[in-house]
Amino acid sequence: MLDLIVSTLTQGFIYALLSYGVYITYKILDFPDLTVDGSFPLGAAVTALLLVNGVNPYLTLLVALAVGALAGLVTGLIHVKLGVRDLLAGIITMTALFSINLQIAGSNLSVERAIDTIFNAPPTMALFGGCSLIVRKLIVSMILALIFKVLLDLYFKTKNGLLLRAVGDNSTLVTSLAKDRGFVKILGLVISNALVALAGCVVCQEQRAFSSTMGTGQVVFGLATVIIGTTIFKKFDFVKGTTAAIVGSILYKICIQCAINLGLPANLLKLITAVLFLVILVLGNVKKGSLKKFGERLAPKTGKGR
Amino acid sequence: MKKFTKILCAALALMMICAFSACSKENKIPVIGINQYGEHPSLDNCRNGFLQGLADAGLVEGEDFTVDYQNAGFDDDIAGDIASSFSANNVALMCGIATNSAVSCYAAAEDKDIPVIFTAVSDPVQAKLDSGNITGTSDKLPVEAQLDLIRSIQPDAKTIGIIYTTSEPNSVSTIADYQANAADYGFTIDAIGVTAQNEVTQAVDTLINRGVDCFSNLTDNTVVGVLASILEKTNDAGIPVYGSEVEQVKGGCVAAAGIDYYALGRQTGAMAAKVLKGEASASEIPYETISEYGIYINSEALAALSLELPADVAEKAVESKDA
Amino acid sequence: MLELRNISKVYNPGTVTEMCLFDGFNFKVADGEFVSIVGSNGSGKTSMLNIICGSIPIDGGDVLIDGVSVNHLAEFRRYRTFGRVYQNPAAGACPNLTILENMSLADNKGKRFGLSSGVNKKRAGYYREQLAALGLGLEDKMSVKMGSLSGGQRQAVALLMATLTPLDFLILDEHTAALDPHTAEIIMQLTDRIVREKNLTAIMVTHNLRYAVEYGSRIVMMDRGHIVLDKAGEEKRNTSTDDVLHLFNQISIECGN
Repeated sequence: MLDLIVSTLTQGFIYALLSYGVYITYKILDFPDLTVDGSFPLGAAVTALLLVNGVNPYLTLLVALAVGALAGLVTGLIHVKLGVRDLLAGIITMTALFSINLQIAGSNLSVERAIDTIFNAPPTMALFGGCSLIVRKLIVSMILALIFKVLLDLYFKTKNGLLLRAVGDNSTLVTSLAKDRGFVKILGLVISNALVALAGCVVCQEQRAFSSTMGTGQVVFGLATVIIGTTIFKKFDFVKGTTAAIVGSILYKICIQCAINLGLPANLLKLITAVLFLVILVLGNVKKGSLKKFGERLAPKTGKGR
Repeated sequence: MKKFTKILCAALALMMICAFSACSKENKIPVIGINQYGEHPSLDNCRNGFLQGLADAGLVEGEDFTVDYQNAGFDDDIAGDIASSFSANNVALMCGIATNSAVSCYAAAEDKDIPVIFTAVSDPVQAKLDSGNITGTSDKLPVEAQLDLIRSIQPDAKTIGIIYTTSEPNSVSTIADYQANAADYGFTIDAIGVTAQNEVTQAVDTLINRGVDCFSNLTDNTVVGVLASILEKTNDAGIPVYGSEVEQVKGGCVAAAGIDYYALGRQTGAMAAKVLKGEASASEIPYETISEYGIYINSEALAALSLELPADVAEKAVESKDA
Repeated sequence: MLELRNISKVYNPGTVTEMCLFDGFNFKVADGEFVSIVGSNGSGKTSMLNIICGSIPIDGGDVLIDGVSVNHLAEFRRYRTFGRVYQNPAAGACPNLTILENMSLADNKGKRFGLSSGVNKKRAGYYREQLAALGLGLEDKMSVKMGSLSGGQRQAVALLMATLTPLDFLILDEHTAALDPHTAEIIMQLTDRIVREKNLTAIMVTHNLRYAVEYGSRIVMMDRGHIVLDKAGEEKRNTSTDDVLHLFNQISIECGN
């Protein structure tokens, strides 16, 4: 029972990293970024390859951040420099990444137990060696989630962070400030996808495997967690978006774990998820018009007006 | 704010207790957690065989063990969630059916060193499931037997067309097997890799156009999923399709030299029984590859393409079509 | 000095709706001038502002600042020395950021947006002073989100933000059009005060003929891509609203409106 709570929280914290990424694109940039479905397994593929080749597991965290950033950069450049619509730019990168991920990892790739991960490499053992692996996983993932939460919270308060928040809120203002809004958008995509790939990296170490299909549905997961989190804290202005993302991620994982433990058939899990998602959306009547905006992306743009 | 946090925490705790109380039953009877990658006739056969294997060893479900069966609906995330839930619930043994589920189980089992038994894994070495507190059975295809079967049914055939999914490691390793052995039986292999189900029909068209003499299937989940539409095209073109196991022959393939997943599962169940009884630990039992295979035929499909079965093959063959 | 030289602009070239707005259009604004531009819809007022700011491409001619062409400069680069206030009060600030954050952003224009703290506490006093001068009580709402302010309040802050850093030109794009008459009056007076205090060169497009006549040092009327009235200094002071209205109506009648 206690173990189940521990492992569910672990999952929640790990996936919170992905939720941060989606929070940045969806909530801050107002950019429906589908790159996530590709950058998440990208982080995992690179991590699996590096671990199998004996690279230090902590180093893989940094590499995953870097390759994720690169994926975000590609989507950003396609969108901003080539003028491809946001949704399509993400789809293009995601599709390309499917092949690239397979190219990197060969095919699905497992990491054998003899190889150390961030959960049992020497420094982690030195600090938390007294705890069982399941507890170490919770501690390490919680530390990661909290470190990046604090970093992001600090970043959002910097001049650069303010500019990022401004570009999604009112991109005209960014132009008025003599700043290239395209560049700021790219920056946002870079940060977002770096975090998403980091999530992929940690998941790969926790699951000891990369699978080419592991990215499917991660955008939806991210959106769901962000919307769950922000809807819950809608009335509480002082609750930070990153906190909402963590809470959303944990709640989502609790729901899945409940469904599994109540013996609901897995074939119905997605349907249950969809219904849950809809209920939360309707109850929260989330950010009036934001869904409409999402819909407008799908339809051709006719003018600049809202 | 404090009040709100309290309420939220209370609500969360309540939710978790309600949901998880279902799993904190009495701990007397050991639980076997079965993590099946998805529902699909071969994998279902595996599971049923596994349970039969346990019964054969004299273990009675409900008395000696209970089963917590979960399937992941072909979703890697869910497979991982199921595995960690097994681990958290302290199951006595995990059974992973199909590679991705087996890998998830093994990763989650690390937490508490729970033994893992896998089945329907084509290449345990590639999947790194060959050492540690784990054992099981491999469903590596009898490729040479299949080539032999095709040669005896189509003595003049030159090229075998195969469609496989590049992301399925079992398919990739089987293709290599085919390519290594084809020449010995006088065949060349024309293989097309796809990444998604919607690319399969185009690949079929391409292979038909290139004039392959027959198709041979692997145990590729993506390709087998659209078997019906493949057969529609090949039957029009008058090209036979060979399956890789009995369910595909039932589905309309002419014949197959394949493994019996029920038997495979049974073999796995016997291994699990040993571990459960404490006769041996999973790390002491090497994984097994099924050595026996069966020849399955669908005489209706053979007749439709006016193919004849040589007498020696017919003798061994098992007629397999759905009633 | 700002100069538009020999500008040509064609909308929808090569289609049935092709429309040539400017053909060899010339216009100059001297430093320190406050130019009010009036004209009916489609006369080219807003297009001209967009051409100056680089928001829309031109098909020929040059935009010159102090004699140097800025044609190659992207829109956002031109704003380095431009300030612009839009018709829509929401366009001038970020609704989800607080007044303080918005002011801080505007205050940092032209500088690096690095990783130092976004809100400069030392400047908060200055912002408060500036907000207090608006007389709208906003100095006590610094930590309120911009989105919760009224249109007039937002436009006042937007005006303040646009002029917080040193500017060469202030572009006012019908910035009172979306406000009620009373608020519009306040914003117009505020604009006049800021332009005078900071000694700005301003170009204001407006539909309010009275504002165009009462405020500013020069009045220009446009019609279908041409300047039909251009009066400055003494001449402008002697022009009444009725004179402008008369001319305006004449054009409108010719157009069949």
